[in-house]
Amino acid sequence: MTMSSAAPLLQAAGLTKRLRSGSRDLTILDGVNLSVDAGEFVCIVGPSGSGKSTLLGLLAGLDRPTAGDVTIDGASLAAMDEDELAVLRRGRVGFVFQSFQLLGNLTARENILLPMELTGVEDAAARADTLLDQVGLADRGHHYPSQLSGGEQQRVALARAFGPRPALLFADEPTGNLDSETGARVLEMLLDLRRDEGTALILVTHDLEIAARAPRAVHVRGGRIEQEIDRRGDASAG
Amino acid sequence: MSAGASLRPLTALMRRESRGARGRLVFMTACLAIGVAAVTGVAALVSAVEGAVRRDARALLAADVVVESRRPIPEEIEALVAPGAGAVSRAAQVTELGAMVRRGGDAGADGILLAELKAATAGYPLYGELVTAPAGLRPGALAEDEAIAAPELLAQLSIGVGDSILVGGQPFRIAAELVDEPDRVDFAMTLGPRLFLSPAGLERTALVGFGSRVKHRRLVALESERPKAAARAFIDGVREASDKAAYLSYKSFTRPSPGLTRALDNVGAYLGLVALLSLLLGGIGVAQVVRAWLGSRAPAIATLRSLGMRPREVFLAYFGHVLGLAVIGCAAGIAAGLAAPQLVRAFVPELMESGAGGLQWGAALRGLMLGMGTAAVFSLPPLTAVWRVSPARVLRAEAAPLPAPPAVRLGTGAALVFGVFAFAWLQARDPLVAAAFTAGLGVLVGLLAGAAHLVSRLAGSVPRGALAPTARHGLAALARPGAGVAGAAVALGLGTLVVVALGLVGSRLRTELINGAPPDAPTVFLVDVQPDQWDGVQAIMGEEGATNVDSTPVVMARLAALRGVPIGDLLGERRRGRGRWQLTREQRLTWSEELPGGNTLVEGELWSDPAADEISVEVEFAKSLGVGLGDTIAFDVQGVTMEFLVTSLREVDWASFRINFFLLVEPGVMEGAPGWRLAAANLPAEKERGLQARVVEAFPNVGVLRVRPLLERVASTLGRIALAVRLLGGFTILTGIAILAGAVAASSMRRGGEAALLKALGLTRRGVALLFSVEFGLLGLVAGLLGGLGALLLSWVFLSVGLDMEGAPSLAAVPAAGLATAALAVLAGLAASARALGSSPMAALRR
Repeated sequence: MTMSSAAPLLQAAGLTKRLRSGSRDLTILDGVNLSVDAGEFVCIVGPSGSGKSTLLGLLAGLDRPTAGDVTIDGASLAAMDEDELAVLRRGRVGFVFQSFQLLGNLTARENILLPMELTGVEDAAARADTLLDQVGLADRGHHYPSQLSGGEQQRVALARAFGPRPALLFADEPTGNLDSETGARVLEMLLDLRRDEGTALILVTHDLEIAARAPRAVHVRGGRIEQEIDRRGDASAG
Repeated sequence: MSAGASLRPLTALMRRESRGARGRLVFMTACLAIGVAAVTGVAALVSAVEGAVRRDARALLAADVVVESRRPIPEEIEALVAPGAGAVSRAAQVTELGAMVRRGGDAGADGILLAELKAATAGYPLYGELVTAPAGLRPGALAEDEAIAAPELLAQLSIGVGDSILVGGQPFRIAAELVDEPDRVDFAMTLGPRLFLSPAGLERTALVGFGSRVKHRRLVALESERPKAAARAFIDGVREASDKAAYLSYKSFTRPSPGLTRALDNVGAYLGLVALLSLLLGGIGVAQVVRAWLGSRAPAIATLRSLGMRPREVFLAYFGHVLGLAVIGCAAGIAAGLAAPQLVRAFVPELMESGAGGLQWGAALRGLMLGMGTAAVFSLPPLTAVWRVSPARVLRAEAAPLPAPPAVRLGTGAALVFGVFAFAWLQARDPLVAAAFTAGLGVLVGLLAGAAHLVSRLAGSVPRGALAPTARHGLAALARPGAGVAGAAVALGLGTLVVVALGLVGSRLRTELINGAPPDAPTVFLVDVQPDQWDGVQAIMGEEGATNVDSTPVVMARLAALRGVPIGDLLGERRRGRGRWQLTREQRLTWSEELPGGNTLVEGELWSDPAADEISVEVEFAKSLGVGLGDTIAFDVQGVTMEFLVTSLREVDWASFRINFFLLVEPGVMEGAPGWRLAAANLPAEKERGLQARVVEAFPNVGVLRVRPLLERVASTLGRIALAVRLLGGFTILTGIAILAGAVAASSMRRGGEAALLKALGLTRRGVALLFSVEFGLLGLVAGLLGGLGALLLSWVFLSVGLDMEGAPSLAAVPAAGLATAALAVLAGLAASARALGSSPMAALRR
């Protein structure tokens, strides 16, 4: 992995999210600043309810902040409408969710194909097969999500996320619904794929062991960044 | 991304989304198919009848062109309609009039009836076939004392072939029974059964000399390569040669029966709208299915959006899927609808005598357009949910929904309203009717939805603690928010409303028609009483116990000029149809010193201008002629022109059944003109036939018209139409049932869970079914009561405001509608929850 001195891939400034709860405002996220370079691997760590998933949603443009802004490749998400956000996501951003979020009426292979078809990837079918092979499901492509185990579903989700070769991948507790052994295997696959494809990864977790694998870990608590651990001098960075 | 690249994943997604769509498909197909079958069926029936008219056009006219007049055909025209003149290859002369026919021998009161006489020369019919039993007889070839009689005439006089009758006092022998007359339209209103005579036979009766009720016809067949152009040219030629005889009218095989065509158009438009109603209700069902479906697909939509699909792309994929399902529903409906002409031919063969014709592809196209259009516009509003699903839902299931863009909300709403209007326009062929239909439907749906909402709120606030468990469950289900039954309640209520309202109005009109005439209204009319016969006729009426005898002189005349402009010039503006007929037809004039009973002056004064010959005109008639106070109207009274000044306009209460006239002239002006007397009297029903017999005996030319049988015939025709309309209205109930079943099936997962839990708690399968029944029954009861109340209100407004009929329709319709709808709802609801009822109590543990 090479470090870049160019403008950051993602930059968040003063990100704030408030929700109305009954008669009062609940501040979920309070003035978060964050910058991620191309190809970088950053973990967002925090206990349940710390606001880390909300932060991920805002960074990925899935949700709108109450205040502040996010830029990806220098483009402000606040200035984009839903359609423009969708187009940005389809080309530059990938996702892996805790609950897999596979489309139940699509086979594993069709799930992987879908985002590539949206972006118009030339060799979509061949790439889907390669990815299936990479996640060890070469012979399960015709199966529906309901016919796959949790770990297998998450591997399909990994393959789907990397299909269109996104510059930036968001993963929300990707091993949270899996037993520890399966979770470890899925995490290895995620990190291997990321390294091979040169994708920047922002991974949200409450698991400090996982966080320890990242060159940079941002600790969130009570909607603020509590601490940032930067190990980018280490050679072992994932 | 290029268009090609963007379209492919959409179609792929559309295809993939259709997996597991079986349940959706069944209910959407059911909702659409019923309505599509109704609109296709009506269109197919109307065009099958129209097709038969076109196919048999020459036979329906028995000619290429018919020239018709109430006066003898002028000499110069006779020359034009004879064989050899121009393109005329064959010709026939036909004379028709109404006359009394008596059984030979000792007739008695029941041996007499009013018949339609028809005499025709050899050659008639020029096209088509006159079928008789024994076969092969033609009126032109009959001896002068022979007749061919319709079976109804033989039956009513209790005679058969070979027996004798008296017409105009002259004896005739029945030579054959009439089996089929090509140029007589069966369901047209007629005075009585047909009796064919030879021209010489008709002359023997000496009836043609009297009065005005004779129709003279000249039938011609044209020799031409281009028959339509030849028919047009022939009519133009005769018209030009007869500029003084504007009273001639023409029929061409290109439009053999303008009255029938117009009636078909009207029936088609009316039935078309009723059919459309069930299709639009089906649209509500589609909306409901789509809403439930999208609700369950929210996680998938969020995922699609997080993967970068734009809302409009997700929308397009789902919309395409809906349209795909709609095609199947339409196909099923069209197939059923296209069978309508064959079905009608099987059950009501007299309506489709000449065959049902081939498949009506035009009707199929109409069904497809309306069905697809309905599915499209009704699925749009629920599909806006695509915009409301937040992509953040992939992270948090409770993510707040986004607002749909205003353009999307407004656009889909506008498309729905405009769509309904466009469909109604297509069916009614009149934008005003379509607008009224759209607005009326909108108001009804709004009222029903509001009422259903109110009932649901009320059900929620009723204290349920003291109720039996089944009733408690039923009430709770009604009150449950988002139970998905509001749409079903509206649809079922609207269906009930339509059927009950049609029934209420139809039966009221029928009773009004038969019993609505005032008790002193005339029961018999006597026409063509010659001035010197009046005393004799009066004496017979007195002896037979006639009361309220009313009589008035009648002079027949034709309009010659309006406001000084000759009718010939005015005809340029109204070349054909009713406008022309109004100006050229024979008008009946009478005179009176006083304003007749049932008449009210609305403008001017009766006989107020000593300097002019005055006329008083019925106000609507004046409007249609385009004349008002101070204008002049000139008449051609059998060759003599007389001009009158309009000095008053009258309103006439036609429902009084009295003798009334559009045109009333000042006394002392027309007394010298040749005319006859019209008389009316009130007679007990059992005396009518006796009077008829005695009058015909003494004065064969006088026609005695009995009102009761005529009204009964009208009422029976009306009853048949009303039955057809109600059957069609029944489709709306069917659609409502399909929607209810769909809503119940959509909640089958929840119901399955409930049933499993209830069973785990110890309830039997029957017990669970009873619980569900109470819920469905309550829903049906509420929908039925609302529909019944709505129908009562609607028919009361229509009858009292629209038709000025007093009194409210029967209240019994409301509970009857409620109970019947409740029963239907229980049946449909239980059928749709069969799977849920069968779920095992183990399922409660696994959940």
